[in-house]
Amino acid sequence: MSLNMDRVASAFTFKGGMLPMTVMELTSADPEQIRAQLAGKVSQSPAFFQHTPVVLSVEQLDEPHLALERICAVCRAHKLLPVAVRGGTDPVKQSAWALGLGWFPPQEARPRAVEEAPLAAAEPQPDEAEASSTPAVGRIYRGTVRSGQQVTAPEGDLVVVGAVNPGAEVLAAGSVHVYGPLRGRALGGIHGNRQAGIFCKELHAELLSLAGNYKRLEDIDPRLLSQPVQVQLRDDQLNISSLG
Amino acid sequence: MAKIIVVTSGKGGVGKTTSAAAIATGLALRGNKTVVIDFDVGLRNLDLVMGCERRVVYDLINVIQGEAGLNQALIRDKRTENLHILPASQTRDKAALTPEGVEKALETLSQEYDFIVCDSPAGIEHGAQLAMYFADEAIVVTNPEVSSVRDSDRILGLLASKTRRAERSEPPVQEHLLITRYDPNRVTSGDMLTLEDVREILAINLVGLIPESEAVLRASNQGVPVVHDMDSDAGKAYADTVSRLLGEEVPLRFYGYQKKGLLSRMFGGGRR
Repeated sequence: MSLNMDRVASAFTFKGGMLPMTVMELTSADPEQIRAQLAGKVSQSPAFFQHTPVVLSVEQLDEPHLALERICAVCRAHKLLPVAVRGGTDPVKQSAWALGLGWFPPQEARPRAVEEAPLAAAEPQPDEAEASSTPAVGRIYRGTVRSGQQVTAPEGDLVVVGAVNPGAEVLAAGSVHVYGPLRGRALGGIHGNRQAGIFCKELHAELLSLAGNYKRLEDIDPRLLSQPVQVQLRDDQLNISSLG
Repeated sequence: MAKIIVVTSGKGGVGKTTSAAAIATGLALRGNKTVVIDFDVGLRNLDLVMGCERRVVYDLINVIQGEAGLNQALIRDKRTENLHILPASQTRDKAALTPEGVEKALETLSQEYDFIVCDSPAGIEHGAQLAMYFADEAIVVTNPEVSSVRDSDRILGLLASKTRRAERSEPPVQEHLLITRYDPNRVTSGDMLTLEDVREILAINLVGLIPESEAVLRASNQGVPVVHDMDSDAGKAYADTVSRLLGEEVPLRFYGYQKKGLLSRMFGGGRR
């Protein structure tokens, strides 16, 4: 609770916050190469490119000077919004500031590469490619998700070890796994990933949704209630099947 | 330093004030210096249930606004030693409660008392959030029905995030479940949620089970907290609750089906 919520005098308060942020780890400084790869990505998962803020990480590059302005332009052309640069030399820092971007010092511990390989093997199977372009970083939540609470995994899967109570909401860019009774609302594939699924040990969900397609409790076959189930999207329909 | 216990529920009418009065009285009867504070500014009830409504001069808001000292506002309970009541204001509203004022009052009381019981208003707004903000322990009062359980669940979420302990990353507020108005016969007939249903959803430690009882209404109307009525089921159940709060192991009573005898059926004798 902001205990000062009833006061009027101050125009704002500063608050510390941890926001989920996509880091774009550059392995090439060539804007054209970046453009080519981005173009491929956009066609695979357009839902991801919706003015998504990204931090450009140049830690893996050894070049003292970067065509930062051109890289940013390429990103913006593909509906990615660079908001800051991480790492790099002093000139890189200066040009980031000149472009109105923030600068972060390089991280000691390298984050796990979000994607394993720079998707060179763009398989003709679009579904496979989309699945593998889902960031691998997920979230594990331990405990009961209570009425009115919302637990989100903005990237990757959400794993809840506990119950999701009525009136609670769990959301994930990827799949939702609930190791306990699912009594609230579960939404997977919130950025449009159609490969996402919902898995739970006991189905009582108020609402199930995958990539915008949903089923209410009322629409669920009563025989599946209280059962361990998996939910998948098939032909724009939620398909619920027992895991038991 | 006193232990601050908030009695809260989200939903109204589940028995917060009755429970706060009974538990505070029970704690005092066991020899603990106890003060019970009514946070329901504008809808003051605790003074009625404690039977001290005719002795209210100053109230919590007067204290917070510096118009009266704590000792002027505290009402000594006539029946129970060690017990004081800090009433709410009936003419103001909850906006008059300020975090700094509440903190200062609680701090001063902490020096002198063993337990501070805060009777929270219903809802999840300013008044209820302030009542729980400084708490060390919380008693979540729940009736065995779905809407009460959902509201309690919501309150438990707030206790885990919107309290001083949560904001300072201290050990969390200790949560206790108190089920009130439990009628074993209606549970058996399927009208009410069972004890297990409620416990499964809320998943916190059960501190007490208070059976539906005529003694509670009688006690409220007479202004005598129901723990004084040790002949009644409810009085005994609240006494058990207080024992568990103090860390004692007490077996659970009053949750089994009660078969009515022929006579009580003929004369419609209710459960005491």
